[in-house]
Amino acid sequence: MVHTLFVARLTLNALGRDRVLHTLLGVSLVLLCLVPAFSLFSMRQVQELAVTLVLSCHALLLIFLAIFLGSSTLWRDLERRHTSLILGLPLSRSHYLLGRFFGVGLFLLLFSLCYALLAVIAVSVSATFYEADRPVIWMNLLAALGGDLLKAWLLAAVAFLFSTFSTSLFLPLFGTLAIYSAGSASQEVYEYLNSDFSSQISAGVRWLAEIFYWILPNLTLFDLKTQAVYSLPLDIPALIYPFIYGFVYTSLVLWGAEFFLSRRDLV
Amino acid sequence: MNAIEATGLKKVFRGKKMQRVEALKEVTFSLSKGEVFGFLGPNGAGKSTTIKVLTGQIRASSGEAFLWGQPVSHPSSRQNLGYLPENPSFPDTLTASDYLRFVGKVFSLPQGELQGKITSVLSRLELDTTMKRPIRGFSKGMVQRLGLAQALLADPDLLILDEPMSGLDPLGRALVKDLISELRQKGKTIFFSTHITADVEQVCDRVGIIVGGRLQCVEPVEELLQEGLSGYRIYYRKDGTMCELPAAREDFPREMETLLSQGIEVDRVEPQRRDLETFFLETVERARYEN
Amino acid sequence: MMKRLFLLVCLIVFYGVITVPASRYLLDRPVALKLGYTPSSEAIKLVVGDQKLLLAESLVIKVLFYFGSLVEKSMNRVDIPPEYYGMFKTLKTAVMLDPYNQDAYYFAQAAFTWEVGHAEDVNKMLIYGMEYRDWDMLLPFFVGFNAAYFLKDYEMAAIYTRRAAEISGSDLLTNLTARYFYEANHDQMGIAFLKQREENTKDQGMKSLYRLRRESLEAAQALQRSLERFVEKFGHQPEKIDRLVEEGMISHLPDDPYGGEFYLDSHGKVRSTSNFSFTRGADAVQDGQ
Repeated sequence: MVHTLFVARLTLNALGRDRVLHTLLGVSLVLLCLVPAFSLFSMRQVQELAVTLVLSCHALLLIFLAIFLGSSTLWRDLERRHTSLILGLPLSRSHYLLGRFFGVGLFLLLFSLCYALLAVIAVSVSATFYEADRPVIWMNLLAALGGDLLKAWLLAAVAFLFSTFSTSLFLPLFGTLAIYSAGSASQEVYEYLNSDFSSQISAGVRWLAEIFYWILPNLTLFDLKTQAVYSLPLDIPALIYPFIYGFVYTSLVLWGAEFFLSRRDLV
Repeated sequence: MNAIEATGLKKVFRGKKMQRVEALKEVTFSLSKGEVFGFLGPNGAGKSTTIKVLTGQIRASSGEAFLWGQPVSHPSSRQNLGYLPENPSFPDTLTASDYLRFVGKVFSLPQGELQGKITSVLSRLELDTTMKRPIRGFSKGMVQRLGLAQALLADPDLLILDEPMSGLDPLGRALVKDLISELRQKGKTIFFSTHITADVEQVCDRVGIIVGGRLQCVEPVEELLQEGLSGYRIYYRKDGTMCELPAAREDFPREMETLLSQGIEVDRVEPQRRDLETFFLETVERARYEN
Repeated sequence: MMKRLFLLVCLIVFYGVITVPASRYLLDRPVALKLGYTPSSEAIKLVVGDQKLLLAESLVIKVLFYFGSLVEKSMNRVDIPPEYYGMFKTLKTAVMLDPYNQDAYYFAQAAFTWEVGHAEDVNKMLIYGMEYRDWDMLLPFFVGFNAAYFLKDYEMAAIYTRRAAEISGSDLLTNLTARYFYEANHDQMGIAFLKQREENTKDQGMKSLYRLRRESLEAAQALQRSLERFVEKFGHQPEKIDRLVEEGMISHLPDDPYGGEFYLDSHGKVRSTSNFSFTRGADAVQDGQ
């Protein structure tokens, strides 16, 4: 297990020096600085808009990072044959895979933490412009950011899974993107199919959709934005479910990734 | 216990359209402790495939292989192995010392000794000035030497080096040859692949030649050179001019006697041998003909 | 190998254990949460780029869908507080993004006039939409109807009804309705409009919405007529609504499709405890006073 940490540290070390990522962090900093200015676009919902912008920006950047890093980390190792060096060491493939994943996950966590700190400042500034009906509940804001982080971890794991059996970058990149959109919509589709409105849809389609619903990750679970924006009370299940679900689903996906990687010939 | 033990290794790759490519057909050999083994073969003969099977990167379709008695499928078989892949490629945003620190940790080197080991191995490979620079900026030769450095870091008893001389300038080649001789003296077991016969001649105890996925022969280098002796060439001075006289192995004593009895001054005698290169080319020819 | 398999089985079991209640939890979330929050259209326009139409359409569909689930639940006698404000705001955002979106206008007309009494806001939205959908006779027709029926602004009703007639060429229906606006009594006007919409709407959700409203109006109208007959016969208001049945003015008290019960208020008007709306609770009590 200690090997996993070494690989994670190596991954984090390499990501910390990546110039593309430096640029991205710069962009997010600029966006956060603009939030107070943008939030003035709303007449009566200055604070709400600020929270929305902060959360949307965070979700977008994290998902981009998760898909990009998740797809490219393993792919690059395999494509540029870093694996022949790293796996030529007394290091098992599962430790290597987990280490790489934890490295990316830790990077996302660090990014999220820095972002959260700046986001609190940006929202506090915006909130002074116009008094909102309900003050910001900071716990909700953090919970919403945490939900996005859990979602990003899950997506990164999916991207890892794809890159364990694909030789090109396209499958992990676009496959994960597809899973992301499907996973975000699956709950609504499911609810639609469960309502009277869908009576004209054939049983076969419904059955198929149901299967997809249970197999695809249900990303609606991680969306706590409304509660954060409107300072609605957050109940315990809203916090517990994403946490456990995210953990179990991510573990399952990583199991699959390990399954494929351990069988792959590193030519 | 043998350092390397390979029995009946076979590897079949499935290419596009499900065509079968037999990369290895029955490769069997073993290396005892302290041996230096040269693995010769033309391009695409299966040298790298064999090495990848030995280092656990490719699973053999059949047959088994062990390093120090441990099956190669298990990571612990590489605990006492230093491995240099062909044209190594490092995560290039890292610095040399970052990467070596990671390698040292994986080999569970004590934290206290790590920095000292890194410095000494880098200076042995003349990379000490570049320790803190990102690998991105390294030349091909530097990357190759860094590859050797990471293989040597944990001071393993077995080294598997895939084309260790490739990408090196004459200075670098000399450095690596020196290094191999030095390791040999320390009693390390070395398995290295190459397609340059001269390298094998100079540093190896035994040579194995692989052609078309089949190990054609495994011979001690010394014996090969001895067997290959075909005759001598005698250089002598007669009336102030230099003359030469070829003599077959069995004729040599008689020829020498004649010259000496005539009171002729013999300048030097050179043995004429079929060298490793010729032997290699003949083996490859024969193997191809047989197929 | 066995260890891995065991791990997989455990993970699949965990997944089953967590995913079913999680899905249940999501299904039972309040509509407000499902609808989510939509930032102001100005802000959205900045980031959404050339996908405005797609976003607008998805917002409208979201509202349509949740309103549908609302009606369905109400019919099953499940009490949920509807989030009219959020839905109307979402629709407004949608038409700001895509002023041509037909669904948004038609749905606003169907849902936010009777239910919430937003006729004035709906008219503003429809008049905004007319600038763009200048070929659509239904928008001015809606405005005219709302002006006459809800706002009692017959002048405005006349202007927009004429405009609707102009757009549609010589539409008999429009003229007919225009006449209704002046001549017919209030309930008749409403029922005629609802019938027309019910017949001309394809969307099942909206159709049922119109039907529900029409049925309740018809029930109320039938009661009102019997009440008038009662007053004519006895010269005074009945003390309880049940008297209408007892005196044979009406065969039975009709059901309120909104799930309430009919009663007579202090002014002798027919009312329902449901207030003809899915909003029970606070609003209904206020109106009843």
